[in-house]
Amino acid sequence: MPLASIGVGLLVVFATIATACAATPTSHDIRPGYGVSEIRWLSDYLPALRDTPGDTPIYVMRGQEPGGAFLLLGGTHPNEIAGVMAAALFVERATVARGTVYVIPHANNSASRYNSGVFNRTSPQWFELTNDAGEVRRFHYGDRRTQPEDQEADPEVFVHEPSGLELEGAEARNLNRNHPGKADGTLTQQISYALFSLVEREQVGILVDMHESSLTGRLANTVVSHPRAIDIAAFAILDLEMEGLALKQEVSSEEFFGLSHREFGDRTNALAFLIESANPGQEASIENPDVVNDPEAPLCDRVYLQLRTIEAILANHALLEGSANAVEFIFPFASTELRGGDLGTFLR
Amino acid sequence: MAQEEATQAEPVVFGQPGLITSIGQSAGAAQARVVAIKAGVDATYSQRATIEELEGFATLIVVLGASSKGLGAAGVDVDGEIAWGIGLVEKARELGIHVIAMHIEGGARRGPSSDLVVKTFSPLADYLIVKGSEPDVEWTADEAADGNADGLFTTIAAENEIPIAYVQTTLGAVDVFIELFAVQPAEG
Repeated sequence: MPLASIGVGLLVVFATIATACAATPTSHDIRPGYGVSEIRWLSDYLPALRDTPGDTPIYVMRGQEPGGAFLLLGGTHPNEIAGVMAAALFVERATVARGTVYVIPHANNSASRYNSGVFNRTSPQWFELTNDAGEVRRFHYGDRRTQPEDQEADPEVFVHEPSGLELEGAEARNLNRNHPGKADGTLTQQISYALFSLVEREQVGILVDMHESSLTGRLANTVVSHPRAIDIAAFAILDLEMEGLALKQEVSSEEFFGLSHREFGDRTNALAFLIESANPGQEASIENPDVVNDPEAPLCDRVYLQLRTIEAILANHALLEGSANAVEFIFPFASTELRGGDLGTFLR
Repeated sequence: MAQEEATQAEPVVFGQPGLITSIGQSAGAAQARVVAIKAGVDATYSQRATIEELEGFATLIVVLGASSKGLGAAGVDVDGEIAWGIGLVEKARELGIHVIAMHIEGGARRGPSSDLVVKTFSPLADYLIVKGSEPDVEWTADEAADGNADGLFTTIAAENEIPIAYVQTTLGAVDVFIELFAVQPAEG
């Protein structure tokens, strides 16, 4: 057989394998701990997502005591890594004492695969954390939006369904502008639809979507809640202030659609919250940002902010809504140890 | 601990129930409600109270701070918000309702729109509660949380002879409420 034919044949085989790999969900280094009862997939809630880049693991963590259901989302925007790592740490080290927690560290798994540098061209593709055993663990620093090759070309204008709100075309790939999604829509819409299906099917009563903004962004260190959750957010924020954690409070805008806190709050029984910490990787003015060890906003502190805020939200939810639907979790260390700590040493 | 400035005017007795509302549509009014609950003050929260809602209340508690999200949700701009707020405060005066103005979201709620709200409504209050630095007292909380770093509220209080309480945290206003409304603190 001529060498050229062998070469073409190998190329075809390679291209086929590469295409198949790109179509499957991206895998991440997350090591489930004792608290994980079961691992599901988002495609369990929408079969059309199976074998697509939009499918992603869901870590189900059931408590000893009955209680409410809580959905914790990281990686709606995978470049906002404090949310991803807070969820990862939760899966690896937390146990649930009461209720059931559904953790999705990479809600938009397509977007987790590659960083287009939309906020900062010098932000990394990967970041590394070293655990107590000296092992270097690598994590994707993803993108804000679904990878372009994973769904149809962006329209000139993205029209949110069902509101009709018009946004720039690239927002068709922003999961946090596509809620509540569509079962037969784009990949991004399908991811959203599956999340809503999960919330309905599992009767999720509380939802927290973890995000980050730039250091100087208007929403840096802010809790946004749906109007139905404003009291819980207020109680939580004032409790945190007494510990020296200063967070701002905002409420969902009624004129802006597609966001998790707005849409889950409007369309489901869940009380919906969104937490924003401040990420130097999203600050355009910083050259080659250190997304792990920036002295002003180290990743461990940002993860602490996310998890401590969640603790305060759940505690005040129990206070105001009653203990029957309470959700409680614990770590084998005080969450305050994260403050000023080395995140890698808390991972498995 | 809250500090209070003495004034030449008769001290106002603040009655219950109170009506808590926002001027500027920030979430601060929800936080003021938490303060009232923890202080044991009987208060109703209405994010953007109507003139009709004033009936039956002894004190109007206006929480000052502009939020573009909140104003957008209410379908108004800051000028429209100020016009509505003035109508509300004027009606409260007509009904003999005392007014407490609060600014408790710190430096995050200072800026052109928020300051317009502050400068319009603080002079109209019978009492001011501010999360911010008091003259000659060390500010120990987060720098960004200082809503009076430029002394704006101090100036307004002095120029209008309005009693003012400075707090370092929002929940510091609980003690102020307890004192103003002469109540026993709530449990927890």
